[in-house]
Amino acid sequence: MELLQRKEIWNITYTHALGETASWFFVQLRDNKKLYGRRDAKSGRVLVPPRAFSDQTLEPTTEWVEVGPGGQIETFTIVYEAFQNLPPPPYAFGFVMLDGADTAIGGFFRGLDLSDPEKAAEKLSVGTRVMTTFAEERIGDISDFWFELD
Amino acid sequence: MSLKRKTAVIGTAILAQPGDDPRSLEELLYDVVQDALRDADLTIEDIDGIVVGSNDQFDGRAISIMAASGSVGGVDRDILSTPSASEHALVMATLRIASGLYETHLIVSWSTTEASSLSEAQRLGADPYFHRRLPLDENAGTALQANVMASSVPGLNDLAAKLAANTRSNGARTRSSVSLKGGALGKLPYPLTDEMVTAPVTGAVAMVIASEDYVAENNLTGVAWINGMGWATETGYLGDRNLNEALALEVARDRAYGEAGLTSPLTQIDVAELTDVSPYQELMVSDVLGLSARADWETDVASGLFSADSNLPVNPSGGVLCFNPVFCTGLIRIAEAANQIRGCAGKHQVSGAKTALAHAASGFAMMYQCVLILGAEPTGEIA
Amino acid sequence: MKAPRVGIIGIGQSVFTRRRDDASYPDLVREAVVLAMTQCGLDFDAIDGTVYSLSPDAMVGIGNAERLGVDAVGGRYKPFLRINTGGATGISSVAAAYYHVASGACDVVLTAGADKVGECGDSQTVLNKIWDPIYERPLPQGTITMLAMSGVRYQQKYGMTQEDMARVVVKNRYHASLNSNAHLRKEVTVEDVMASRHISWPIKLMDCCPQSSGGGAMVLASEAFIKANKLDAVWITGVGHCSETYYLGDRMGKGQLADHADAYALSKSIRRSYQMAGITNPQKEIDVAELYAPFSNTEFHSIEAAGLAEIGTAVPQLNEGRYTIGGDIPVNPSGGTLCTNAIAVTAMIRVAEVALQVWGKAGAHQVKGAQRGVASGNGGDHQFFGTMIVES
Repeated sequence: MELLQRKEIWNITYTHALGETASWFFVQLRDNKKLYGRRDAKSGRVLVPPRAFSDQTLEPTTEWVEVGPGGQIETFTIVYEAFQNLPPPPYAFGFVMLDGADTAIGGFFRGLDLSDPEKAAEKLSVGTRVMTTFAEERIGDISDFWFELD
Repeated sequence: MSLKRKTAVIGTAILAQPGDDPRSLEELLYDVVQDALRDADLTIEDIDGIVVGSNDQFDGRAISIMAASGSVGGVDRDILSTPSASEHALVMATLRIASGLYETHLIVSWSTTEASSLSEAQRLGADPYFHRRLPLDENAGTALQANVMASSVPGLNDLAAKLAANTRSNGARTRSSVSLKGGALGKLPYPLTDEMVTAPVTGAVAMVIASEDYVAENNLTGVAWINGMGWATETGYLGDRNLNEALALEVARDRAYGEAGLTSPLTQIDVAELTDVSPYQELMVSDVLGLSARADWETDVASGLFSADSNLPVNPSGGVLCFNPVFCTGLIRIAEAANQIRGCAGKHQVSGAKTALAHAASGFAMMYQCVLILGAEPTGEIA
Repeated sequence: MKAPRVGIIGIGQSVFTRRRDDASYPDLVREAVVLAMTQCGLDFDAIDGTVYSLSPDAMVGIGNAERLGVDAVGGRYKPFLRINTGGATGISSVAAAYYHVASGACDVVLTAGADKVGECGDSQTVLNKIWDPIYERPLPQGTITMLAMSGVRYQQKYGMTQEDMARVVVKNRYHASLNSNAHLRKEVTVEDVMASRHISWPIKLMDCCPQSSGGGAMVLASEAFIKANKLDAVWITGVGHCSETYYLGDRMGKGQLADHADAYALSKSIRRSYQMAGITNPQKEIDVAELYAPFSNTEFHSIEAAGLAEIGTAVPQLNEGRYTIGGDIPVNPSGGTLCTNAIAVTAMIRVAEVALQVWGKAGAHQVKGAQRGVASGNGGDHQFFGTMIVES
């Protein structure tokens, strides 16, 4: 019995509104190489990346707080497998608690040798200090910065 | 089978998002939920459970409940999602309350216009086995049904245009401050015209419902009781259906009317909000729901049966024709009907409305059908 | 109002495999539905409501694919709606079916679905699209990387080696070798797992769930219907859902509700289920658990969240064999999600497997004397958790 197959590709472009809070964050990043969080008045937590409201208290956030550029690694992983439409491996990324923030922001870890997984994992262990590095050409996107070991 | 206890609508909020509005989707949802909670005079702490309804392909998120969850108060809370239709979120929430395990629920639905083409997103709903190569989006489904109807009802196209004009004048009374006409529609499939359907816009709707026990314990007044609720589906393949009838709607109607003890819709209903996917569907729905029989469409439309100042205003809100956040139009009908009962429908309030009919339909050519009867007093079957 | 118990009278599941070129998506749904209906001996006329289980549409490549499943579940002209809570969809669907019955709206409800993850080309591409486009989409985040990061934190907090993770795989593959419906049934050793290639440190290939295709279905009924028709049944006595913040970085800070190392919302969801079912000491009262854990490391915090180990102690207890068939409280005697993952129904299979256990119908992977079990499902970015208690 001949079994047939059909290939279908989903191809839709989305233009997502970032809103005022995220837009301001990305503009500061692009133009001034600075990172900011937003404070939730009720709990006092500085949320990074910033949002207009806290999903824990459901209260609006009230003030901008500059954070980083130093921080510490909260978690990481090192990817060795190639996935369609994702970057060619190996690469390391994870979450960093920037100085002054109460929540961690995601980003790539660059500038280290990833060829030996166990050695690389040791270098990236939780608590390691890192420094934010900014791209020369910035467009107002998470890819405008990454982290390097301090 | 009847529900173990009754549920009432105690708060609503409907938000439109004009083109120059700077809010992100999460911010819009945060606002609509805060509005609904304020309307219900509750905080999120008073909410036992949440059900949301949204469309992944419209939103550009593979699991659209994820980012929304925080904005609607889902953190540390019990939240479900019914992506089949916005009205299904209300159905699910009502069942959860009727089970006795929840006293209150928040229901949220939204529809965005961030996709480069909603038509393209909708076309992904056609099966890849036989029909994906056809330009089958929701307007096309609407048009296919319209043509089937028109082949058995002479003059239907003119009638549809007249009904659309009626609905627009209803809507003109109410939607003043926000520009609700979407972008250019482009060429519509025959026989639809841009007088009959409106371009999609971004919008959101939130509702708060509570059990009869909660209402009694908190001495709440001016609530809208859900006295009857019915929902059903057609089959998925359009070619398997007789598009000149709406059997799923008959099933939904019988359940809702039966529960509410409704025997004479024309005399017992004070106001109706029907999902006017287009005026053709509105007419078919009116027939099945007993508001205007097929043989009477011509005279009924001409006599202004459905207009805002008739005995039975239909779509005093202006319907989908005047505000089309595609995915949540079904839930909006329910919210509008509830507002009529609660006396807070604003400029389009029908005075003295005590019994309201809400009809929600979703999918190609009204595949999913849902009927609710809401009232100022609790009536009908209780277990 | 006392929480009613709702019966499970029929269960159906495919023999899961990577691809099913012999069956379209609706065919797979039908396959499971027929099995479930046959087991309870009812006609479609007896079903008065349907809940459709389907997570990301992109996995099956059809927008609102539940519409094509209407006839597969005999749903034409019946009450019908679809549930999606990501990976937890299957258990959320059973919960939704439970509410249909418990509310009084329906006597007999069918819930079903299927997935063809193996056909999707690359599930991680789809799963990358679950992240918000504002901050996290530009990162190469997927479910594997996300849970690898959880493993890193768990390791740092409580201690866990890659060999410990490998022992979870060994246990579950052994279980799956006894389960004729499971996808990956070949037993492996710790050495095999350690030799498999790194995907996302510390997760290696064999620490990962497969991409499975197949269907699942369950028929639920009210106590009154079951008694009147003298049907055989097992009972859902506890149901709970809870969710965490969407932001991973918020689970790593100060003043956070949850740590990404743990499964806070899962433990809360399970506690709701236990409370409803009247369970106060799970380690004594639970005989079997099917806990959703698509990667080996996540089984540890799931066991702890279910109260089957104190926080941070699951590793040594698993190493001792406590959670293997024959041990104290078998966890994932079916092989679990690690051996079979047809995403839209995986969490439903967790409930189905617990039901089969307490029903005495689990065949070669039967846990002797099991009377009461807990099932869990996870969805989103480790965000939505549905749980259920089933007993005989």
